[in-house]
Amino acid sequence: MKPPVYLDHAATTPVDARVAARMTEVLTDPRWFGNSASDSHDYGEAAATLIEQARVQVANAVQADPREVVWTSGATESNNLAIWGVAQYYRDRGRHIITARTEHKAVLDPCRELERRGWSVTYLAPDRGGRLDPAQIKAALRADSVLVSVMHVNNEIGVIQDIAAIAAICTQHGAWLHVDAAQSVGKCALDFAACGADLMSLSAHKVYGPKGVGALLVSRSRAPTIQLAPLQSGGGQEGGMRAGTLATHQVVGMGAAFELAAVSWRADAERIAQLQQRLWRGLSAIGGVLRNGDPLHTVPHLLNVSFEGVEGESLLAAVRSEIAVSTGSACTSATAEPSYVLRALGRDERLSESSLRFGLGRTSCEADIDAAISVLEREVRRLRRIAGT
Amino acid sequence: MKYSELTRRYFESATRAGTLPDAFRGAAGQREQGTWVQFDVQINAAAIADARFLAFGCPHTLAVAAWLAETSVGTPLRRDMAESAAALRERFAVPVEKLGRLLIVEDAWRAALSAAIDSAAPDPMSGEGRVKDA
Repeated sequence: MKPPVYLDHAATTPVDARVAARMTEVLTDPRWFGNSASDSHDYGEAAATLIEQARVQVANAVQADPREVVWTSGATESNNLAIWGVAQYYRDRGRHIITARTEHKAVLDPCRELERRGWSVTYLAPDRGGRLDPAQIKAALRADSVLVSVMHVNNEIGVIQDIAAIAAICTQHGAWLHVDAAQSVGKCALDFAACGADLMSLSAHKVYGPKGVGALLVSRSRAPTIQLAPLQSGGGQEGGMRAGTLATHQVVGMGAAFELAAVSWRADAERIAQLQQRLWRGLSAIGGVLRNGDPLHTVPHLLNVSFEGVEGESLLAAVRSEIAVSTGSACTSATAEPSYVLRALGRDERLSESSLRFGLGRTSCEADIDAAISVLEREVRRLRRIAGT
Repeated sequence: MKYSELTRRYFESATRAGTLPDAFRGAAGQREQGTWVQFDVQINAAAIADARFLAFGCPHTLAVAAWLAETSVGTPLRRDMAESAAALRERFAVPVEKLGRLLIVEDAWRAALSAAIDSAAPDPMSGEGRVKDA
């Protein structure tokens, strides 16, 4: 049986063969098994050299200073470290946080927990296209605001926020800005130094790297520099911000993946934009198909659409043996609740529930797109016939 | 979500999806609320001669409605389903939190059969709830 066409690259990407080869080399070469924190012998030093090389690769890919890279287990940990770290460190300065209703759960859940512990959180509503107006941030800032957390590229609808404009407002006010950029690297231009963010979450597995490794960029450009209370202690690694022995092969994998992304993202984006247009043309021809998110401010790799007159769970079940897509984000697709991101955009419950997220990637081709269109055309018509709609 | 083989088979085939002319019709639920089911039944003397369904809902809802429409043909007229919603939940391995959807299937079935049975006394072919031009 033919495997389903993979169109869920926003959930995760396959590890690039070159990345896997480099990781295998690190795992198997007897020179590199050392603990990078063991500077008393050559084994530790060799591992530390690899870690620092990867730090440079990641920094170069996003125009950051290598000293700004703090290794984590992934974007979820990075988001938690950023939010908890700022909230705890600056708790005596203020306990107000601003974020958006369309953020990833890895941002919203820590915010909810902080609310339970006495912090105040403002959840901004985006416009119908999913964009925030920087003026909303300005209006929401208070004397006790310490942190604004806004994602760069939305993981469900692909909409890009104007981070530079938001950063300018935050800087003027004296609040720190955290940006979840897990969906950005390899998809669009990303310049940490120029955008003005103080903290930025990155992930390896969205960029053809391994799962289980990510980074938090901690800016050194503002004076005084931002400080974070660590989530874990016990070794003082990563400048005291993230204790624990580093997984050298994972870190090397992330470095290699980011280096590849830095080279290929423009060509990838141009090719994938053509595929996205082909997919949208094909799906919209079915009729009763609505696009979610502002198409003028969206990465080419994501297309989110709602199908009128079909029930969401049935639609996913009908197509899953032939195409691998998701409803909402993978982190919430185990539940039957409609996408909270689409609800925040004003879509009703039925249309939010009958949405599919197509995540296109490096391996996607025209045949994949045509197969997806064909399957959806057939199944949407069948389900509408059964539903009498 | 994982589905049982039976659920998948009836969800994918849905062979009796549609409507019937000259049938008794019953419906329950609302599409706006996520689940809506309609049955059309034709009767012959005191038995179900044919049945069709339409359904908007999850795969379990569609599968159970399809199974009911298929297995009811040739069975005697009775208001209740041949199996209770609880028994169908077990047969199709439906998660307990979805029992409410099976109750909507049951309500639609009872509405169609009630229309047929109520019309069958004394004249089974001239009662209310009958679809003249489906």
